[in-house]
Order: sequence, then C-alpha cells, then structure tokens
Amino acid sequence: MSRPHCLQQQSRSALRCIAQSFGLSRPGTSAPQQWHFRPLHSSSRTTSQRPLHRAFSSSVPRQAWKTVEQARSRGRLGVLHNITPTQALIRGAVFVVTGIAIIVYFREERERLERKRIAEQTKGIGKPKVGGPFSLIDHEGRPFTSEDLKGKYSLVYFGFTNCPDICPDELDKMADMIDRVKATSGDVLLPVMITCDPARDSPEILKKYLAEFHPDIIGLTGSYDEIKNTCKVYRVYFSTPPHLKPGQDYLVDHSIYFYLMDPEGDFVEAIGRNFTAEQAAKVIRDHINDWTGPLDRKPRQ
Amino acid sequence: MGLFSSSGSKTASSSDTGLYEAPGRTSRVKCWDARDTYFQCLDRNNILDALKHEEDAARLCGKESQAFEGNCALSWVKYFKQRRVAEYEKEQLLKKQAAESFPSR
Repeated sequence: MSRPHCLQQQSRSALRCIAQSFGLSRPGTSAPQQWHFRPLHSSSRTTSQRPLHRAFSSSVPRQAWKTVEQARSRGRLGVLHNITPTQALIRGAVFVVTGIAIIVYFREERERLERKRIAEQTKGIGKPKVGGPFSLIDHEGRPFTSEDLKGKYSLVYFGFTNCPDICPDELDKMADMIDRVKATSGDVLLPVMITCDPARDSPEILKKYLAEFHPDIIGLTGSYDEIKNTCKVYRVYFSTPPHLKPGQDYLVDHSIYFYLMDPEGDFVEAIGRNFTAEQAAKVIRDHINDWTGPLDRKPRQ
Repeated sequence: MGLFSSSGSKTASSSDTGLYEAPGRTSRVKCWDARDTYFQCLDRNNILDALKHEEDAARLCGKESQAFEGNCALSWVKYFKQRRVAEYEKEQLLKKQAAESFPSR
C-alpha cells in the first residue's frame, strides 16, 4: 500500500488524493510530484515525512454530509443530483431516443433475418425448388433461357393474353411495381411474363399485348411441351389442353403468383394477389437491399 | 346472339380469318363495362346465376346481354357469369364463418 492515507479522507478529498497519487492532479494545486517516484516500501513513513499531504487532506469539502441519511434528506443523492431542469430534460430525451433507436434496430434486424430465412429457404441441397432450367423464346423471337434470368433480380409471372380480368389487373400491378423498384433501386429487376397459352400467344401477340403494360416486361413463349415443363419447374398449375388451335375461343387456368428470383436464379419469395403494388415493391426492394453478391445494374438491351 | 355478335368488336377475335388477336386495353374496358351493366340488370331482377336461369335472364336483360356478348368473347361471358356465382358463394361462406366464429354478434 503506497497510498494508505487516501482511504482515511472524506470521500471527495479521498478521490483527489487517489487522483494525485496517479499524477492526475489539476494544474495549480500543489500536488506532491514525488509520489510518482516513491519506492513502495517507503509508504510506512509517509505521514511523518510529508506534512504537506496532511494539510491538503484536511480541507473539508463544503457539501460533505456526515451521514447518508443527512445527504438523502437534502435530496442530494441519486442520478439527478444537482442538475438543472434543462439538463434533466436533455438526459431524459437521450434516454428515450436511445431506447427507441434500440427497439427500431432490433425490429429491423429481425425483419432482415426473416427475409434472409425466406430467401435462403430454397438455397442448397435437399430444399424444395421453385424455378429451374427452361428454354423458351422472347417476344422478339430470340431464344431466352433460365440463364438469361441471372444477373438481376427477376420477377416471373405466368399468364396469357386472353385472360379476362385477373392477369390484366396483375400486369398493371406489375408495371407499378417495376416503376417503384426502379425509382429506388435502379435497373436491377427483370420482369418476365411466361404464357400458359402457347397455342395463341406468339411472340408478336405477346409483344403487342405487353407494350400496353410496361416496356420492360419480357414476354416468353415456346412449344407446348416447353411451356408445360416451365410451369412444372415453377410449380405452376397448368391445365391447358395440348391440341388447341389459335382460332378457338377458350380460357386457360393457371396459378397467379409473382415469383421473385435472385440474381443467381434461385427462388426468393412468391408474391400473391393480396399484395398491393406498394407492398410488393417493398418486399422486392428489401430483398435487393439485403443482397451482397454481384448485381447487374445495366439497362437491358 | 348470332345476329348481334357483329355489332361490337370482340375482345378475342377468333372469327373469320382464324387469326387470334389479343384483347387490348380499350376492348377490355368496353367488355367490363358491358358486363357491369348486365350484372346490374341481373341484380335488379334478383337473378344470380345467368347460366342456370338462362330464359329469365334473356327475357329480363336481353338488351344488356346482347351488349355484353357483343363486347366480350364467349369464353369471357361464360367465365364472368360463373365467377359471379362463385364470388357470391364465397361471400356467403365468409359471412357464415364470421357468424360462427362470433356467435354472440
């Protein structure tokens, strides 16, 4: 014990005593600098050798209460000890803001982890797969395979041009979603409509039809078997009979979901009819923001 | 119906040439408007299923029916009529379920 006297002081001066013994004395106070270099074993002689210290420590602080009760009775203990209302207000505000920030952070984080869980559900081996290889032709008559979906996020919709009411509604919603996502995230989404009615929906028909909704939407068609296979890999209910003629008047039945696929071509999430364009855009945007891998931001030719 | 089918532009024109043309936005809206008018007429006459009560529907809403069939492809007409019944049944089912889950109300 090199500093035995510190413990005998009144609390305030004891602190000062300890501070000084560590060389933390304020400038102007006559602190005994020698303490630093004092050998440890010399401590027993401190009192007699250093009267200065005695004098220093005898200065009783003005507000030293004799007992805890006394201090408490004067309202001088506790956190809000000796502060103005403004300071109290600032401290209170800091406390509340920090609390809110923590709540918001944890909520965001929980949502992010939930999205991650959804997004990675279909990654890896032995997981249920939605989507897979296909080989079709786009509305310009060019070949388009599942490989062409990669690079950007893609939004895959199944429909047909002779759809009475649901598909046009959904395609209008898709157009709205595209614009919303584009506005905030840039050119990172590849919207695709795959026809369930290949007998009638030729590339030309699709091109003309989709132009009314959004110029970005790529229409895909192909042979009956290719379309049937594509529907199968996307788990889309497909009931179109095989030998329809273009002139016939008929409807086809199909599932109505938007399939969001990530830049690696893996299924992320299905967006149903119950989503508004705004809600759907948020789902897509959040997944895009979570994505850490490479993402193609160039506009598609 | 055959007499009047030429009066409106059909949405899915299968017709003469055999070439299919996809319904455009305007023709869809025309069709939906004609459908709504027709269904309003059915509502006024308390007809739910126009396919089941075909004669009544034709007698009471003949004019609206012609317009409906003139502006929509036949497959659409049939689909909308079926959907009307399905929607009604769904609504009833939901009401029934709601009544069962909150019997006190």
